[in-house]
Amino acid sequence: MTGMTAQMIFLAFFGAAAVWFGIVVFRTKSMVRSALALLFSQTAVGLMFLVMQAEFLGVLQIMMMATEMSVMAIFMVMFMMDPGGMGAMDMTHQKRLSLWAGGIGLVAALAVIWLAAWGPAVPNIPGAAQQAADLGRELLGRSMFIFQSAGLTILTAMVAATMVAIAPRKERKE
Amino acid sequence: MTIIWILLAFLVGAYLIAVLESWAVHGRLQPARPAFSALALLGRESLLARTPDRLFFEAGPVLLLVAGLLAVAVIPLAPGLIVTDLATGALFLNAALAYVLVALIMAGWGPNGAYGMIGGWRFLGQFVAYAMLIVMPITAVAMRAESLSTVDIVTSQAALWNIAYQPVGFALFVVAAMGLAWLPPLDLPTAPGDLAGGIEAEYTGVRLAVLRLARMTVILALAGATVTFYLGGWLGPWLPAPVWSGLKILLVAGLMVSAGRLVPRVREARYLALSWKLGIPLALTNIFLVGVIALVVPI
Repeated sequence: MTGMTAQMIFLAFFGAAAVWFGIVVFRTKSMVRSALALLFSQTAVGLMFLVMQAEFLGVLQIMMMATEMSVMAIFMVMFMMDPGGMGAMDMTHQKRLSLWAGGIGLVAALAVIWLAAWGPAVPNIPGAAQQAADLGRELLGRSMFIFQSAGLTILTAMVAATMVAIAPRKERKE
Repeated sequence: MTIIWILLAFLVGAYLIAVLESWAVHGRLQPARPAFSALALLGRESLLARTPDRLFFEAGPVLLLVAGLLAVAVIPLAPGLIVTDLATGALFLNAALAYVLVALIMAGWGPNGAYGMIGGWRFLGQFVAYAMLIVMPITAVAMRAESLSTVDIVTSQAALWNIAYQPVGFALFVVAAMGLAWLPPLDLPTAPGDLAGGIEAEYTGVRLAVLRLARMTVILALAGATVTFYLGGWLGPWLPAPVWSGLKILLVAGLMVSAGRLVPRVREARYLALSWKLGIPLALTNIFLVGVIALVVPI
């Protein structure tokens, strides 16, 4: 029982940390701080996975977010006319719309949490190695099509974004 | 107790690598040199840049040290001599080393100085080049071991070390590791001579000492990873297991800090082009070949 309680405390702590860093993303005036706050928010989510004994998912989340958020930072700095991210800029825009969207999202999330039938907690969690094996079988079995199409969609979006960002050949010659 | 012994072993290792690096740089073997430079750094005033981002400035070197230590935690020195044998060890090593990048961006951006900032962003550019070439060779190693545990990866090499089983993966991994530890010729983030130290430019005194110690830990972790993944870890005849690990790690680290000094510094764009146009196709071929061999020949 004490193990369970400790687990709950850590889960709540990292959850609160994730929310706090999420707030910092919009409170700061610096692009780099904003990007790194988002990174630490996602790292806290990864730590929540670890607390919930999902080792592979936790480590994967912690690894992917470090790289993804940093790459996002470099793209922000490249495209936002803010050399090095040194200039101060407001991280919020379309405030009324964002408030409504955020509020509705919160209500929806709370409704799902309260109304869904979650069922009992799994008593016997498989070991970390078994979890990784199970995940691999799931990814290459039932869920393969979903993951492959998601990957292809992201790749297409990346190519399209780069195409939009690069100046046309005519403009570059001048 | 084991943890203390391992940390002590790695501390000695970090010192020896510092000796090797100063040998490679200055051409003279001076075993006391790192101790004297450390004392000099600790005795010097630790200056604070004007209007710094104080949080990032202080956190950068410490985060780098933490990342290095976490990476070291999954490197086995002998059977049972490991801080923690995670079922996802190889992935964990990667996750820990991903924060080297975060630490360097923080350290580069924190002091609010041009050289540091350029150094930090340069490392981010360099990351885009080396990142895939760290992960993809490890994938092939894990495929052969059928496990992500670093201990299982070492025992899977009992019959044949991975350096012979997948030499292409070994070469790619070592070069990418040198990029990750910003060792010459891939030392663009510090670039002595054109960036005045880059990310190290604004650090002095005890903060610089932490930054340098952290870098040695990262180099040690990468040498340890190379030995674990490709050189059979603690495996070897006659000598006891920890001695083999130590010797191999020092040899790899020595080669990593010295060999690159014989070639000129590689430009960012060239490194990116080589990594993506040559490195990634080679890494994919390596994964394919290892898959075929693992299915056909049971070694």
